[in-house]
Amino acid sequence: MAFEKVCNLEDVSEGEALQIETFEEAIAVYNVGGQIFATQDRCTHGDWSLADGFLEDGVIECTLHWGKFCVRTGKVKAPPACDPLTIYPVEVRGGEIFVDYEAGKVGE
Amino acid sequence: MTAGKTKTRLNIGADPREFQKRPSWTNEDILGLLDEEDGTLDPRIYTDEDLYRLEQERVFGRAWILLGHETHVPKPGDFLTTYMGEDPVILVRQKDKSLRVFLNQCPHRGMRICRTDGGNAKSFTCSYHGWAYDLGGNLINVPYESEAFCSDFNKSEWGPTHARVETYKGLVFANWDKNAPTLLEYLSDATYYMDHMLDRTPAGTEVIGGMQKWIIPCNWKFAAEQFCSDMYHAGTVSHLSGIEAGLPEGMELSDAKIPTVGYQFRAKWGGHGTGFYVGEPGMLLAIMGPKVTEYLTDSEAASRAEQHLGSAERARQLMVQHMTVFPTCSFLPGINTVRTWQPRGPHETEIWAFTVVDADAPEEVKEEYRRQTLRTFSAGGVFEQDDGENWVEIQSVLRGHQARKRRFNIQMGKGRSGVGNKDFPGSIGYVYNEEAARGLYRQWIRMMTEPSWETLGP
Repeated sequence: MAFEKVCNLEDVSEGEALQIETFEEAIAVYNVGGQIFATQDRCTHGDWSLADGFLEDGVIECTLHWGKFCVRTGKVKAPPACDPLTIYPVEVRGGEIFVDYEAGKVGE
Repeated sequence: MTAGKTKTRLNIGADPREFQKRPSWTNEDILGLLDEEDGTLDPRIYTDEDLYRLEQERVFGRAWILLGHETHVPKPGDFLTTYMGEDPVILVRQKDKSLRVFLNQCPHRGMRICRTDGGNAKSFTCSYHGWAYDLGGNLINVPYESEAFCSDFNKSEWGPTHARVETYKGLVFANWDKNAPTLLEYLSDATYYMDHMLDRTPAGTEVIGGMQKWIIPCNWKFAAEQFCSDMYHAGTVSHLSGIEAGLPEGMELSDAKIPTVGYQFRAKWGGHGTGFYVGEPGMLLAIMGPKVTEYLTDSEAASRAEQHLGSAERARQLMVQHMTVFPTCSFLPGINTVRTWQPRGPHETEIWAFTVVDADAPEEVKEEYRRQTLRTFSAGGVFEQDDGENWVEIQSVLRGHQARKRRFNIQMGKGRSGVGNKDFPGSIGYVYNEEAARGLYRQWIRMMTEPSWETLGP
């Protein structure tokens, strides 16, 4: 378990997503009503950044083909997406967001 | 028949033994539509289906077309969908703040790429099969590309058709023709007169409100010509009731003189034209009310405009200016309605109108502009109704065969324009005039008959 700081809490306002490019694969960090989640940034359907998408009620919609995923579980919520997202453990410590990239696992 | 022989020979128009040939419109035919020397115009210019098709190719495929204002799309990803002639296009602000315009047509099977009026986007995805494009109009994603397409399929070859895009002091224009002159060359000596609306202050202009759109059943050229050249209708009868109703309460009608002093300008190249009264504020007062009239003629902003334009006459004395930049960009400096006449067949026009204000005008002046342009020049505007009524009735009359055969009179001011003065340079004539209209139709005919910019260019 190696949590690394990815950004400050204030960098991701409520209802927004932020693309983080510090790891091998980009991740997206989401603020859902004050709760922070992290998933892979690349949509499993088309090659497109989910952080550019629309976040509503904890579900991210890709702008390219409107596939949807639950950012908490990684589960597919709307076609044409078929494969779930990889999700990452997140900790918020004193206004800073930490992600354990190595512990990422594919959602169910 | 039992009737006896008629003794008098009436000059009956029809001769049914010969059908009119369906015109194929040679260059010679098109050149004959306007006779500047005699001052006559063939009304088939407004009605003919074949001319209309040629016009889409030769005029709208090569002219600079007004799409909107820079402040319609201020932020990266901001876009609006509009038209160049009948061709739908998307205007998009790029991440580097530049503008791009491309055909709103997916090159896969031809579907419209973007189906909303405007907004902010990260990408555009065709709703038929999901081909997706970035803000620059590059094809970036094709579903099942590797599984379903052939090995030599190359996404970079299958983006939509792009247009050139350039701006003049806030107004955004686009052109399909890579050989056309630059926008500035195209605007020719008309920019001086455009500046009366666009360059009164170093802050420039901004759009207030959105885009109003409505449809009227007439050819776009009636509208473009009137804004180019026709103060006559305003100084005679078309708008009398609107003017009377718009005067401030208690104002004596004898104080609200219909102006008689003013000028008309015909651009030396390009078919652009404008006209305006000088000095007499009565009509402006009736159209825009006292607050806007004071702002334009007698305020701190008017003093600044005088300095900026370098002329008290240009900044404070111009009243009710009308103007068209060929072919379909029209506006009224001072009143500040701006519109594109979108052709929809020879018999129909969509009007896309918006209002601009000086960006540094006081909020109450901006609000007054919003209210007054809504009241006067908009889908429900009182002056707009008068104008539309004339154009639509003419179009309706021109359903008649006899009506189409009779050439129109376009003689006013013929041979009477001369070199202007220090304040109003260029080819200048009296305010009641059709010189600018002759210029607009001359440019139309030149674009319809001259394929090369080597002869056509400024």
